[in-house]
Formats: sequence, C-alpha cells, structure tokens
Amino acid sequence: MQPKTRPIKRFAAAASKCSAEATVYGKCIVVDYNSVHKDKCVKEFMKLKDCFLVAAKGAK
Amino acid sequence: MRLIIPRACLPQPRGPSLARAARRWYAFQAPGGPVFQVFNPRTKWLQKERAATNVEQSREADYLKDEIARRVSERLLDIKRQFPRVLDLGANSCNIARALTQEIVDPDPSVPVMPPLSSKVGELVAVGSSEGLLYRDADLEFNNEIQLTRQVLREDETLPFEPESFDMVLSSMSMHWINDLPGVLAQINSVLKPDSPFIGAMLGGDTLFELRTSLQLAEQERRGGISPHVSPLADVRDVGGLLQKAGFTMLTVDVEDIVVDYPDMFALMEDLQAMGESNAVLGREMGPIGRDVLLAGNAIYKELHGNEDGTIPATFRIIHMIGWRVSEDQAKPLKRGSGQVNLKDILEQK
Repeated sequence: MQPKTRPIKRFAAAASKCSAEATVYGKCIVVDYNSVHKDKCVKEFMKLKDCFLVAAKGAK
Repeated sequence: MRLIIPRACLPQPRGPSLARAARRWYAFQAPGGPVFQVFNPRTKWLQKERAATNVEQSREADYLKDEIARRVSERLLDIKRQFPRVLDLGANSCNIARALTQEIVDPDPSVPVMPPLSSKVGELVAVGSSEGLLYRDADLEFNNEIQLTRQVLREDETLPFEPESFDMVLSSMSMHWINDLPGVLAQINSVLKPDSPFIGAMLGGDTLFELRTSLQLAEQERRGGISPHVSPLADVRDVGGLLQKAGFTMLTVDVEDIVVDYPDMFALMEDLQAMGESNAVLGREMGPIGRDVLLAGNAIYKELHGNEDGTIPATFRIIHMIGWRVSEDQAKPLKRGSGQVNLKDILEQK
C-alpha cells in the first residue's frame, strides 16, 4: 500500500503551482505593509485561491 | 498671646502603629509568588511526545538541535577541568550526549581532529519531561560511549535534585519554553556545587521573525485580526539580568544567528512540528491555522523575505549563556583603580 501523503504536502504542492498569482498578491501586501486591513487585497487573493483550488483538484 | 510652635519642633509622636505606617514598601516579586504563564506545558509535552512517535522524521528534523548542542558542548574546551557529574536540563533526545561523543573536527584542516569531549565528563544525567523523546535514541551506539542516565521529570520547571550535587549544568534548546525562567535559573544555581559553571543555549530575540511577520500580515488581511503563532521570546538584554538575579557570577552572554533555507513556509512549519517546537502559547487560537491564512502567509513570506532562488530563509537566534556559581576561592576582578599598567601604552605600542 502506498504511504498516505500528508495533507500539508498536497497543500504545498498545489500552492507551488500558483507562484505567479502568489507574487501578485504578495506585492499587493508588501507595497505598504504598515497599513494592512481586512480585505485590502481581496481581488488578488481570490485569484490566488481560484488557481489553488484548480491545482488542488487536479492533483487528486 | 498665642504661642506659635513650628511643626518641625513638635516632639515626634511615638508608638508602633505610626512607625509601621511610615515604613516604605517596594514593589518586588516575592519568590513563590504568581508567575506570569505564557506557555502551556501540557501542550508542549504532547507536541514532543507526538514528534517522538515518528522516529524517522523526528531524527531528520534534529539538525538544528544537534548543531546547537555541538556548539554548547564545544564551550567545554575552554574549561580545563573534569566534571564528574553533569546535568543536561531539558535534554530533548539527548542531543548533548550525542554531541559530547563526537570527535571535534576543526574547519581548518591543519588542526588535528580532537577526541570527543565525553572524556571530560563522568556521569551525564539527562532530564526532560517527554519520555518518548528522551528514550528515542536509547539503543543507538553513542549510549555506550558515555555514562548516560536518563530521568523523566514530572514537570520541566521543578528540579528534583539535592542542592550542590552537580559539577556542571548544561541546557540546550529547551529553556525558551519555560514560564518561570528566573525560578528555574535559581534552581540551577542551587543544584550546582560552588565554583561550577552553567552553560546554556536557547532560542530568543528575533527567532523566526519572518514567519511571525508573514502570518501576522496574512491574518490581518484575511481575517482582520491576529493571534500569536510564534512565542514571545527572551531578549539578549534580559538574559544577563536574569542570570544575575539568579545569583550567577562571571556571566557571558552572546548571540548567534543560524539561518536555514526552506523551499516554502509549509516545509518550515512541518519541520518545526517534527522538532516538537510548534506553537504552545497559552493565549493562542485553538485548532489549525485556516487554509486561507496559510495560502496568503506563504505568498507574503516569499515576497517579503524570500531568497532570489525561490527558497525562504528562517532565522534562529540562539542566546548562549554561561554563569558560575559563586564561591569564596573564585578568581575575582581586582579593585577599581588598582591597575599598575596603562592599557593605552600597550595598545599604542603595536
């Protein structure tokens, strides 16, 4: 039997496929990290999350 | 005519009640008083036990503890003495015992390889609260090369030893989880024989500041608030005062940074878990970190701190401390102003 992959491994693998979106989101936060508030970069995050969800689905 | 007597000339009223009222009180923390609880010892114990169940992964993640244990034990080279009975406080998986049995290889190839330091140590008593971690490597080769006694402590913050029963106390990578650091240092001081050293190392200061800031930013943006994910740690400036307060003399405190690169934030967090070093702060939010925060945190970590090759650095700041138990026949500094030679002359001759 194959050893079970830990969920965190699958999570990391899927997240690594969205580096472009992650960079856009990261830049949005880092450009002014002294005034971060809730949903400051919600648009960029949703793009990142959409990409992540697609990648996570494909990996299963 | 009224007689006017200034107040100061009036005879002082006598009596115990007034004298007591005039006594001044100072704010200080009495020994045995309430200690500010920061960490949950039971959570920490569970995390260490859990880490030890996966032996292979736990050994793989021992790189940091082994390295720091090696640096701690190399400090014994500076003390030309034999230590018949030594305590290793918070031994984790007996990393110090392992380091003591290794040969010392100098980075400079012209320096001959030195024999292991275990020859300087008689009996090493390794204590810790996590039985699983303490006995993890009990059947390995190094156990035969040093006289090692393991002892499981019921709790990390009480030392069940006779006063003045050890010739040295070592501690590596465990004191940053202690709530009552002044109390434990005072206990270490009391179990040491006079004129014996305590050599310790723990995480402090800016350790894991990258992870701390990234998770804070991610939680702030995703959820609108933050919860502690990285422990509050002692600063270098505090440690000297703590050692002094515990009664140690001839203090040495120094720091060094070890920066480890990881592929991403998840690998770092997985390794921290395998080390048994995950979050055990009392005021933390229970349960795992949400997926949104993880995803956002990883992106911010890479952008804010990431290396050019796509990996991320994690800084571990290690505070090394050495303190000696006071003794009458110890070398002491000379009196102020008793110097006969002007340092300026010596330094300028060069």
